[in-house]
Amino acid sequence: MNLAIVIVIAAALALGIILHLAVTQSLQAKRSTDLAVSIRPIDIEAFRNLINPAEDEYLRCRLPANRFRGVRRERLRAMAAYVHVAASNAAVLVRVGEAALASGDARVAEAAQQLVNDALLLRRNTTVALARIYLALAWPNSGFAAVRVVERYERVSGTAMLLGRLQNPALPVRLSARL
Amino acid sequence: MLQSHSLLWHYLWLGPQILQAALVVLLWRRRVYKQFPVFFAYLIFEATEAITLYLMDVLPSVSVGAWWLAFCIGLVFEGFIRLGVMGELFFHLLRSRPALAKIGGRLITCTGAVLVLLATLAAAYAPVDSQQFAIGYRAHILQQTLYMIECGLILFLFVFTACFKLTWDRSTLGIALGRGISSSVHLGTWAVMANGGMPQSRYLLDFLNMATYQICVLIWFYYFLVPQKSATTSAVSLPENHLDIWNRELERLLHQ
Repeated sequence: MNLAIVIVIAAALALGIILHLAVTQSLQAKRSTDLAVSIRPIDIEAFRNLINPAEDEYLRCRLPANRFRGVRRERLRAMAAYVHVAASNAAVLVRVGEAALASGDARVAEAAQQLVNDALLLRRNTTVALARIYLALAWPNSGFAAVRVVERYERVSGTAMLLGRLQNPALPVRLSARL
Repeated sequence: MLQSHSLLWHYLWLGPQILQAALVVLLWRRRVYKQFPVFFAYLIFEATEAITLYLMDVLPSVSVGAWWLAFCIGLVFEGFIRLGVMGELFFHLLRSRPALAKIGGRLITCTGAVLVLLATLAAAYAPVDSQQFAIGYRAHILQQTLYMIECGLILFLFVFTACFKLTWDRSTLGIALGRGISSSVHLGTWAVMANGGMPQSRYLLDFLNMATYQICVLIWFYYFLVPQKSATTSAVSLPENHLDIWNRELERLLHQ
């Protein structure tokens, strides 16, 4: 009977999660206006600097081991904050792209499809990158590369701009801060 | 095997099946079966199976053993069709998102493998107390196993779409929601039955199962027949200017 209790609790939790996610999804579908407003610009240069292995190597040579670990952890936390914003922007771009997919204009639909694909890849990469950042927080001396996230982010930004241009040439999109 | 069931019992057993048959006709007329052939097959099979079992329950000539045997055979086929419905939902979710097809395929395969393992373990630990009604107990365990796998897969689908912020289309969401509610409630009730719980008041669990299924059929009606309120599909408002400058900066970055 203990097993039954465990399964019943698990089933109740599953039901709760499914209902919650289904309701959230339905509400999301209803309020899909002004999505792009929630995009938060990212300073790619600063992020690129943050993930530069040469910077880490420089700090490793200059600082005592325990001091280096502290600084490295600070840098990793900052990195995680950037990646979180990139992931959140990617999620918005997925929804912007999917909203534009139904467009009658073939060029817009094509750009939207490209945007969705790139944003989904970015979202996947940010998930992996965050996992690696949190692992690196536990072992600050280990190597780390988030370069793929940056590359993917740039590509997504390019596609978003293309879509923005095709949809509304007068109101372009901005995903980066240093402009 | 005539049982002295209440009118509500008869209604809850037959009502959803009649509604399901009506849904089959409507989906056929709207040619939705082309879009969801496995779900369409599931609706037909489920209605046929339930009505057959009902008739077998009512007919005095059918023995208890024969009824449970028919129940188990139907369950095996139903299990395969329900897994097919899961595959269909996953296909609809990923067909326009090739970027996620590979990782999604791998994740659902791993999830499926873990769920099969867990369901097998749960089945192995379930007691088969009475030799006289062994087939009935085994049917309960089989139900628990199938619903555990299905519920886990549906939960995975919902969590996967939430993680990647994907949008379901209306029909796919309706099917997934209906199957999600049905599988989680049925998992709980069949787990109690399979592990010998509530022996004196099993009829309450049967009522819960049948009422839940009725709700699920109504959910499918709603999602298939009530049109979606128009969402923004184009002219998505975009933030302030700077696109050209940003593009120039980006090109500079790329050429570094």
